Amino acid sequence: MNPHAKLICTLSLITGSTITISSNHWVMAWTGLEINTLAIIPLISKSHHPRAVEASIKYFLVQAAASALLLFSSMSNAWTTGQWDITQLTNPTSCLLLTAAIAIKLGLAPFHFWFPEVLQGTSLTTALLLSTVMKFPPMTILFMTSSSLNPTMLTTLALISATLGGWMGLNQTQTRKILAFSSISHMGWMAVIIIYDPKLSILTFYLYVLMTAAVFLSLNTTKTLKLSTMMTSWTKTPVLNATLMLALLSLAGLPPLTGFMPKWLILQELTKQEMTVTAVIISMLSLLGLFFYLRLAYYATITLPPNSANHMKQWHINKHTNPMTAILTSLSTTLLPLSPMMLTSI
Amino acid sequence: MLKIIIPTIMLLPTALLSPKNLIWTNTTTHSLLIAAISLQWLHPTYFPHKNLSQWAGVDQISAPLLVLSCWLLPLMLMASQNHLQQEPMVRKRIFITTLITIQPFIILAFSATEVILFYISFEATLIPTLILITRWGNQPERLSAGIYLLFYTLISSLPLLVTLLHLHTQTGTLHLPTLELMHPSLTLSWTGTLSGLALLMTFMVKAPLYGLHLWLPKAHVEAPIAGSMLLAALLLKLGGYGIMRVTMLMGPLTSYLCFPFMTLALWGALMTSSICLRQTDLKSLIAYSSVSHMGLVIAASMIQTDWSFSGAMILMISHGLTSSMLFCLANTNYERTHSRILLLTRGLQPLLPLMSTWWLLANLTNMALPPTTNLMAELTIMTALFNWSMPTIILTGLATLLTASYTLFMLLMTQRGTSPSYITSIPNSNTREHLLMTLHILPMLLLMLKPELISGTI
Repeated sequence: MNPHAKLICTLSLITGSTITISSNHWVMAWTGLEINTLAIIPLISKSHHPRAVEASIKYFLVQAAASALLLFSSMSNAWTTGQWDITQLTNPTSCLLLTAAIAIKLGLAPFHFWFPEVLQGTSLTTALLLSTVMKFPPMTILFMTSSSLNPTMLTTLALISATLGGWMGLNQTQTRKILAFSSISHMGWMAVIIIYDPKLSILTFYLYVLMTAAVFLSLNTTKTLKLSTMMTSWTKTPVLNATLMLALLSLAGLPPLTGFMPKWLILQELTKQEMTVTAVIISMLSLLGLFFYLRLAYYATITLPPNSANHMKQWHINKHTNPMTAILTSLSTTLLPLSPMMLTSI
Repeated sequence: MLKIIIPTIMLLPTALLSPKNLIWTNTTTHSLLIAAISLQWLHPTYFPHKNLSQWAGVDQISAPLLVLSCWLLPLMLMASQNHLQQEPMVRKRIFITTLITIQPFIILAFSATEVILFYISFEATLIPTLILITRWGNQPERLSAGIYLLFYTLISSLPLLVTLLHLHTQTGTLHLPTLELMHPSLTLSWTGTLSGLALLMTFMVKAPLYGLHLWLPKAHVEAPIAGSMLLAALLLKLGGYGIMRVTMLMGPLTSYLCFPFMTLALWGALMTSSICLRQTDLKSLIAYSSVSHMGLVIAASMIQTDWSFSGAMILMISHGLTSSMLFCLANTNYERTHSRILLLTRGLQPLLPLMSTWWLLANLTNMALPPTTNLMAELTIMTALFNWSMPTIILTGLATLLTASYTLFMLLMTQRGTSPSYITSIPNSNTREHLLMTLHILPMLLLMLKPELISGTI
């Protein structure tokens, strides 16, 4: 991709996100979201592969629809209440419409179908952008409007997301799709808590970004797009694969890795809100996800030789591991002991 | 606490940085030193807790288990030396590192006084165990064994986490010594019953209770020797320890909730002993014998009397040492014949005469011959159970009989009879193996002289 075009896209991406997260006016928030959408589309379709073009069109249509819905909900709120303040979303219909719009943007089930398809069409780095940076502005809108959202609807969406994210990921062999479903189920964990403790939801998002970035960058180093490539990637970077396993298990939320922290805090908040049943259900649903993370982990490192290897070995690696990967991986495995500090500082 | 935990963590750099020829010596010596220092925990005090801090403390129940876990690490290292001989240096280091990583978590789990810390370290033992089994096992079935281990444990322990957090919301603390002083918050309501079940279930799976035990024989059969020793000697004990801790919190609820668990535990002791009698796989036999012994531990810790707790404690320690030794013995045979099948590896006494002495000693302790601590434990548990309900004597008596028979069966199958003609020459048993067995049997013999060290509350 042309460096100038790349620079413009990246800058607009940053600008769009900044406008949305710092805006107080619905129209500005909408503008930021639109800038974001338009900026990422060249990045999605940069490989000019038919799948990439398809992905960018799908992405554009879905995001445009969601943005329109968001604009409609804010306008109808302004129509009835006479103001455009984001935090003052009081009209119930607007609230429902907004929840739907944000759910589409975030890829919350049942509006999640576009997400794995789009991720599958893009490169690993763009997929990382799509599942982290592009989800940040909708998350902040959800954060700002959290006091006026409908708890039953969000809890239902969250549980459906956790279920479908875990369930549909079981059947995948493509790493990008698996990570897309993992993202969907993590969005479920964030949505279940957004009303009761919005800051915790944001913390969960940050930690998710940390862990998923570690996984995406590790996979990107070895150019692993599917499980069969993963099987042979240990010859390229054995140590990276070992840490990738830990990062994956952290994403699954096993103690004593970082991923346990958000789960623990969310379950605690849910039990405080007398939602013990929801807590049990959503924690059990995370086991579905654990199954495919575990499978990835098996492929990454556990089935190493001296056991039988009936495949071609790959020896050459043409790029160095990014130091960022090391930092992200160590952060995404060892942050749990810091949880008291993080809990008080958010 | 940190006196032990920090040296244990420092074992990691020792394993990673030791020179090539000294790696086994360094790690084994260092861990043996730690084990020697940990013996001070056994010294009785006037206070219920020793070294009590905000998050950890050692009391009469955890002290023997802590010492056992410190003691087992050098033994595991010694036992793994042979099967890693062919591996490159990096893999040896990684294996040792994995083994050592479990240790601080187990120590934390046994000494934690904060229940969430206990939960985290209890779960944290899973990942290294998983790596140990699925990375270092031999058969392809090890992958499913790993999945079984992980999912059995997690399905049962996530409700535990939610319940613990619920208890925390209700009582405001999860500090064990404080909780023991408070009125139990679990009532006979539905919520109370479900919370009680959730509290117990994790440990029932880990112990394991008959019916929830299917992951254990799989894991044992697939695990390398260190994994088997770890599972049998320490991880199962985490289950027993957890039950003893949790039942103390549950108050009157236990007397209602105990019936299904008691039934399954006692019936399971009987059933698994019978399964042992028709077992063809040596490691699987020892694994089922663990299930049967842990059934007695579960039954004893569910009735919550002083005698039963002390019986359960003694049985956990003696079974930890005995079963670990049996696994080591099975492994010495396996390394020579590359088979665990009883029919194929029989009659080894003429070939490995000194080893059969160890077999005899290990089997005699496993079948609880006087004056071993195993016998003391079984008698204490049987008495406690008899006091609780008379008919249990039928089940416990039969279980003892069956234990003796399958242990005898194991001894006779592996050692006596004519040696098979296809085993013509096998390597002699070496000093490392004899030392390994000695270090297993010595604590058992010495504990006969002073069993009150491991008898818990009495």
